[in-house]
Amino acid sequence: MKADTRKKLQEALVSSPSLLWLGLFFLFPTLLVFVLALRPANPYGGIGQGWTLENLRRLADPSYLEVARRTLEISLVTTVICLLLAVPIGYYLARVSLKWRNLFLMLIIIPFWTNFLIRVFAWKVLLHPEGPIKHILVFLGLVGPQTSLLYNAGAVVLVSVYTFLPFTILPIYAAADKFDFQLLEAARDLGARKFQAFRRIFLPGIRRGLFTAILFVFIPALGSYVIPDIVGGPGGELIGNKIAQRVFVDRNLPLASAISAVLILSVLAPLAAVLFLQRKDERPEIL
Amino acid sequence: MKRSRLPLLVTIVVLFFLYLPIIILVVNSFNASRFGTGWQGFSMRWYARLLHEPEIWRAARNSLTIALGATVLSVVFGTTAAVALHRFARSRLQRFHYGLVYTPLVVPEILMGISLLMAFAAAGVRLGLGTIFLAHVTFCVSFVAMTVLARLQDFDFAVIEAAQDLGAGWGTTLRKVLLPLIAPGILAGALLAFTLSIDDFVITFFVAGPGSTTLPIRIYSMIKYGSPPLINALSTILLTVTFTAVAASQRISRSKG
Amino acid sequence: MKRRPILALLVLAAAASFVSCGRSRPVLNIYTWAEYFKPDIIRRFERENGCRVVIDTFDSNEAMYAKLKAGASGYDLLTPSSYMVSLMSSQEMLQPLDHGLLPNLIHVDPEYLKIAIDKTMHHSVPYMIVNTGLAYLKSKVADFVPSWSMFDRADLKGRMTLLNDMRETIGAGLKSLGYSLNSTDPHELRQAKEVVLRWRTRIAKFENEQYKTGIASGEFLLVHSYSGDILQVQRENPDVAFAIPREGTAISVDDLVIPKAAGEVRLAHVFISFLHDPRTAAENTVFLSYLCPNKEGYTLLPAELRDNPAVFMSHELRARSEIFADLGAANALYVKIWDEIKSAK
Repeated sequence: MKADTRKKLQEALVSSPSLLWLGLFFLFPTLLVFVLALRPANPYGGIGQGWTLENLRRLADPSYLEVARRTLEISLVTTVICLLLAVPIGYYLARVSLKWRNLFLMLIIIPFWTNFLIRVFAWKVLLHPEGPIKHILVFLGLVGPQTSLLYNAGAVVLVSVYTFLPFTILPIYAAADKFDFQLLEAARDLGARKFQAFRRIFLPGIRRGLFTAILFVFIPALGSYVIPDIVGGPGGELIGNKIAQRVFVDRNLPLASAISAVLILSVLAPLAAVLFLQRKDERPEIL
Repeated sequence: MKRSRLPLLVTIVVLFFLYLPIIILVVNSFNASRFGTGWQGFSMRWYARLLHEPEIWRAARNSLTIALGATVLSVVFGTTAAVALHRFARSRLQRFHYGLVYTPLVVPEILMGISLLMAFAAAGVRLGLGTIFLAHVTFCVSFVAMTVLARLQDFDFAVIEAAQDLGAGWGTTLRKVLLPLIAPGILAGALLAFTLSIDDFVITFFVAGPGSTTLPIRIYSMIKYGSPPLINALSTILLTVTFTAVAASQRISRSKG
Repeated sequence: MKRRPILALLVLAAAASFVSCGRSRPVLNIYTWAEYFKPDIIRRFERENGCRVVIDTFDSNEAMYAKLKAGASGYDLLTPSSYMVSLMSSQEMLQPLDHGLLPNLIHVDPEYLKIAIDKTMHHSVPYMIVNTGLAYLKSKVADFVPSWSMFDRADLKGRMTLLNDMRETIGAGLKSLGYSLNSTDPHELRQAKEVVLRWRTRIAKFENEQYKTGIASGEFLLVHSYSGDILQVQRENPDVAFAIPREGTAISVDDLVIPKAAGEVRLAHVFISFLHDPRTAAENTVFLSYLCPNKEGYTLLPAELRDNPAVFMSHELRARSEIFADLGAANALYVKIWDEIKSAK
């Protein structure tokens, strides 16, 4: 019994810093979002008294569906591209010597200590209709002289991939670093082909890193509004833009909260499902 | 057995991709043009102007201070959280804990910022650098925790127990066994937290108080009425400083053997 | 692990910078647009009044309002646009001004006050006037006509931008049809919507800030823009021209206001009066290329600004132009239309 209590105590001790901090500074504000979603708005940007389902009713509008579909599409494409690039990089970094590894890590992350907006504007310069990239592409016959590289979904995906790539690389690297590469050698000794070994042994070996990487790209992409604002076209509004519009232009905080609440729940639902299904699992870890 | 060249190739191509806008940024900081009308001649005027902009330096200092502080604290909280989540995984407390750590990642920033502001206002907390710091730690903890957790996959705590069986105290076990093993995860988490904090705009905008501007806030409003080339110059300076610091630390660590 | 000592050093350095210098002088906290006052003028004010001026910046009226409405405080002076001022006033967020502390108010242009929302300067004093209009590249745009209908031109397709601002763009639509840009008539609004939807097929994007760079670099040929910005661009690229549409346009004014919970109320008043000293007003006008409505200040302006029709509109154009009023509950009408414009395929 005593060992059990000691373990419980240990658990409480180690969990308490994060539990307390997040409980205090995060839980309350988040619950506020859900509460606000159920309150009426007054036209002067304030929050009315009483409760209402009006905001949720407004979300049934078909224009939201279109925006949601567009957002989902762009976020998925961005996530996939980021993963395709991050996995080889994580693999490479984990196998290289410590000196090179740290150097590469710093090289990858340092550009992102400049300002986000400035980087996006630098992309506008790069993709300018009279810019060097456009000239090269026209020269290679890949695009016509009238095609615009900016103000379309492609530009949004490109800049999004650029923005979220380091957040994908870091967790995959963290997971790949602990991976025992001798397992791959063993598999190949047993006759597996390179790609087979990679797919069946390496990827599952870093599955938490993959999951985290997906989390770090997909979710922020869903909520992003600055990138579509600057390099997106007139028909390129995403959910993040709608939330921003509700807060600032429409002064309708409750409606913005309602959109966010739906967004949050739709992302939490899969997690809750997984946690619920795994509750009887023999495996000693979550995911 | 030949190792595939693909990973190295991808790394190099991606590095090139990552630095493309940076090159533009640096080149434009020497561009005499204010509106990017094309190259208007080499000029150091933006650097000269930076010397007369105490507001920008103050904002830069604020950003750096908060980023460093928030990184340290969120690394501590994030690592303990990850260890708890992995070690005691199946318990009910940890499942709630996991939800609590996971959710900040999915709340849209605007709402996080406004609700934090409302919470601070309701509690009568004065807005300032302190509130920005609190907000930053809050959203960084989750990122660090998830990153360290990725590192902990398949980690067997039997190693820790073995060390303790051999007589090592908590301090030694921590320092000599656990931390070295998860160090790459902690480093990755720290880099992530620092990057998030130093570049955050939305949440910071809402919880900043008078006189506690950070660089992103200054830059966002300058884009509307001010001179972007000024920011290019500042960014170039910051980049130079950072690269020098990294090169220096590489030199130091190499000489240490 | 080798990173640790360096990290520790950095943390120590950061902690050291936390030690703040003593605050013996009063501090005036201003919340405003970026680079909105000439730096020399701020320094002069600090010297003459033995105080420190701290300037925080916002990038939109709405962001500032959302933040203040949610409970932020600590600012002594704000510079919102007029329509935002009337909203804030109705929400009792502002203080009435003590004209006894504002001797320079006699210099404020009475012609402007005639069309102002707060005609008696009860809670606001105008600071800068901005006119919305069309900027275009003279060499690339053939047969330019100073009219909102330029957005219908097929030959300019994909090389134009409209402001990403609900009031400005719907307002332009209303003005092009001869209606008021503060109209709340659903019939008129529906027509304006059709116009904007038509224009949307011609533009590259909705853009609020980067039209400056866009037109200066030749990326765009015609942009919906603000006068002062374009005047600044013209200094660099003389091919850029600015015109006010003949149907009339929107006049935006940024006002100086003091929030209810301000700390340094007297100092804020002194600053407001300081800004309307004719010499100061003229200096700020030249610095920003907007227009400070200070009658005596006008005489101190250089010819480049005094004779510029983009800055001083002709009487007939002025008569056809309007200042934005806050729509109150009718805001929802505009929001719906803006949503439909933004989400149309």
